[in-house]
Amino acid sequence: MSEELHTLHLVVEKSSISTNPSKLLKPNPYVEICVDGQTNSVRKTEVKRSTSNPEWQEPFSLVVRPTSALCLKVLDHSVLRTTHKLIGEGKFNLIDILRQHNGKISSVSLHLDLKHGSTKVGTLVIKMDGLRIDMNQPAFRLPVPPASHAVVDPAVVVNTGPENPTNGDNIMPPPSLQNNNVAATPRATPPPRPPAPVIPRDNSNEPLPPGWEVRYDEYGRRYYVDHNTRSTTWERPEPLPQGWEMRRDPRGRIYYVDHNTRSTTWQRPSSERLAHYNNWQGMRSHILEQGERRFLYPQQTILHGEQETDNLGPLPEGWEKRTRPDGKVYFVNHKNCTTQWEDPRTQGTFETPVSNEPLPQGWEVRLTEDGVRYFVDHNTRTTTFVDPRGGSVAGPGIYGVPLAYERSFKWKICQFRYLCQSNALPSHIKITVGRGTLFEDSFHQIMRHPAYELRRRLYIIFRGEEGLDYGGVAREWFLLLSHEVLNPMYCLFEYANKNNYNLQINPASYVNPDHLHYFKFIGRFIAMALYHGRFIYSAFTMPFFKRMLNKKLVTKDIESIDPEFYNSLCWIRDNNIDECGLELFFAVDFELLGQVLHHELKEAGDSIRVDETNKEEYIKMMTEWRMTRGIEEQTKSFLEGFNEVVPLEWLKYFDERELELLLCGMQEIDVDDWARNTIYRHYTRNSKQITWFWQFVKSMDNEKRARLLQFACGTCRVPVGGFAELMGSNGPQRFCIEKVGKETWLPRSHTCFNRLDLPPYKNYEQLVEKLSFAIEETEGFGQE
Amino acid sequence: MAATRRLQKELQDLRSSGIRAFRDVQVDESNILYWVGLIVPDNPPYNKGAFKIEINYPAEYPFKPPKIIFKTKIYHPNIDEKGQVCLPIISAENWKPATKTEQVIQALVALVNDPEPDHPLRADLAEEFVKDKRKFIKNAEDFTRKHSEKRPAD
Repeated sequence: MSEELHTLHLVVEKSSISTNPSKLLKPNPYVEICVDGQTNSVRKTEVKRSTSNPEWQEPFSLVVRPTSALCLKVLDHSVLRTTHKLIGEGKFNLIDILRQHNGKISSVSLHLDLKHGSTKVGTLVIKMDGLRIDMNQPAFRLPVPPASHAVVDPAVVVNTGPENPTNGDNIMPPPSLQNNNVAATPRATPPPRPPAPVIPRDNSNEPLPPGWEVRYDEYGRRYYVDHNTRSTTWERPEPLPQGWEMRRDPRGRIYYVDHNTRSTTWQRPSSERLAHYNNWQGMRSHILEQGERRFLYPQQTILHGEQETDNLGPLPEGWEKRTRPDGKVYFVNHKNCTTQWEDPRTQGTFETPVSNEPLPQGWEVRLTEDGVRYFVDHNTRTTTFVDPRGGSVAGPGIYGVPLAYERSFKWKICQFRYLCQSNALPSHIKITVGRGTLFEDSFHQIMRHPAYELRRRLYIIFRGEEGLDYGGVAREWFLLLSHEVLNPMYCLFEYANKNNYNLQINPASYVNPDHLHYFKFIGRFIAMALYHGRFIYSAFTMPFFKRMLNKKLVTKDIESIDPEFYNSLCWIRDNNIDECGLELFFAVDFELLGQVLHHELKEAGDSIRVDETNKEEYIKMMTEWRMTRGIEEQTKSFLEGFNEVVPLEWLKYFDERELELLLCGMQEIDVDDWARNTIYRHYTRNSKQITWFWQFVKSMDNEKRARLLQFACGTCRVPVGGFAELMGSNGPQRFCIEKVGKETWLPRSHTCFNRLDLPPYKNYEQLVEKLSFAIEETEGFGQE
Repeated sequence: MAATRRLQKELQDLRSSGIRAFRDVQVDESNILYWVGLIVPDNPPYNKGAFKIEINYPAEYPFKPPKIIFKTKIYHPNIDEKGQVCLPIISAENWKPATKTEQVIQALVALVNDPEPDHPLRADLAEEFVKDKRKFIKNAEDFTRKHSEKRPAD
């Protein structure tokens, strides 16, 4: 029967099971939900331990037909058996419930009798919501479009305000619709992509989807009215793709259902967004494989060692060390039946580099009651956990520059881990998620706990895979969920631009009415990754990391996210603008979802002309606006969520690039592949500076290589296909070394072109010194 | 709108400059970001017709360059079937906020008059242009007669 599919919200509330008095043990019950006997899409609740009155209160979204039969089974979970014993089951047909409630299921509670065979063994309470069927239609078909067939009063359309992003209107109307009889010059909305040639979207001969109408505003601009949703848009609507349907949620908000993938989204799908989605989905298969290759400081050196040689003393009680068939060592915690790769004796800690240097005058080392080292400064009568000798040890380091410039990343991580450890909470927190509902499940579970609880040891369970004795579950969860937040259908984050695959907040995220809650959730989640020392899949943009560190954003920061805009700002800075007719004022526009938003940089900015005397101020204001436009609220929510789990001040040790390494990990960098895929300008492969350069890169450790790559190309990760696939701001762009400047200069980089400007240094030592200096110093010079 | 004053001035300058190769510039004063006009080339094989183009300015103009589309079909190695044209002066790398539409139009007219087969959008036409110029001219003339707009009277 080809009936419409609907989403039914079902909450499994509680159950009471009549126990057999002859049995000593109470069951460990959980509920399985099955729609129309489809065993491949069975949903499960958490397992409740040893109780005959379990309470779950777990929500599920089920795809159902009005005639669907639902079966809920209560089972007894057992660690010993793979098939769990049935306690009892309850069945019902949705159509009966629909008939009783006149087609509307809204907050309907149902007490189901649980039966085993023909014996009643208890009851199960569920609640259902969000289903509305027109019972008068033959075969209970849903009318499409729903509810509002009538032509909308224009006044209603005008009043759907775009100003308040939280009010639930998900498409912005044009500013004014009073006068629609002016002859039109239609304006094709330019796609937001930078390259000059643009493909004209000429579909004006195709009919509009049902319920849509073309109108012209008082300026003669064409816009489209969607009478289905009572909203307007500048962009010509494409008909919904095959298998898509428009729906309205209980609060009347429009959303779109993709029956192909059984997923939903707030934003109307277009071919461009679907292509983006397919691309995003294509990355899925690489996530875990990529994640496997990431590391910060390999602890394998310890793990591979024999028991006798690791010098760490015995394992804590209840722990056991085991070896996989492939020789990889892991650790079993018998107390909570989990496993992990990290040695519990070294977990979260790195060996603090022991300094032989004496402490400064007036300082003293002490130990806390727990044996943690801290420092007393008798000069100022203060104490600190930070070693005053820090990384600022005098004398040359291994790269020939004073050690002060060789920031000890290890040392910083160590300080950060120390803060995490000293604020850890005992016991663990359980997060149970379904693979198909990873985002929603994780959202609900992370948000329902007080933030500090998220510092407990994580115990991640993929529903249906309980009892799997595999330590990578948490790691997998962090990688998968961090990829999931980029799902273009959530409209929360976007790629910085066509060739910069780092994430930034999508200024159009407000099409998702709950976006601020989600940003808070993602903030918590990212903080958890840092706190628990796990990696996320994609990095954020450098400006976003800087924002997390509360660092001032400078004009240079625009380059990586919007090179065209950056070049124009630089041109204004570097040229005399008084005579070239720029006609710039202290006001600026940008386009968001087809609407042009106007902003005055300062009061009455519309009438203040930009000239040589005030252009510095203008550039400063433009920079600030460019970096914050449309994303301030979202950023605040993100930081708020983050700060609840990891106080932002704990990050003070790091700069933005270190933060990226910390969050995403490093990868082994193949220098031969790198050199093979490098091109030269005004140098040749055989120039002595080039020989020295690669000699130096070969001598570096992996961290240093990652930093060099970050410095030159703006990324610490090598593309899946190796250096041949390195991308620049205009498509594939191989790494390029260009001869620029004099030997007294420092090397500079142009990250959007993957270019390193290397002056013709006189000898190897000089090259090593200058290059190290440039890599280590992030602020001020180096990059240009 | 922030770009309005700049574009109004550019339009005025363009109209008063009286470029013969770019005529009939039409701008709806209410939507200054969208212009149309007629390219009237001087060189054969395109001097038998005229070509309608569309100029789209982004909201962020002049921080971002305008985009140009040919609305009239043209047999040209640097302009493809969709009317896209690869014009260095408005490419991401070369764009300067001081670049005026008049200069862009001049560059465009120069490109139409003298194709650059070394940077083609249509490799087949570029090859023909280089290898058999006579055949190219003939094809282009036929094509122009068939598809192009009428040239202005004067």
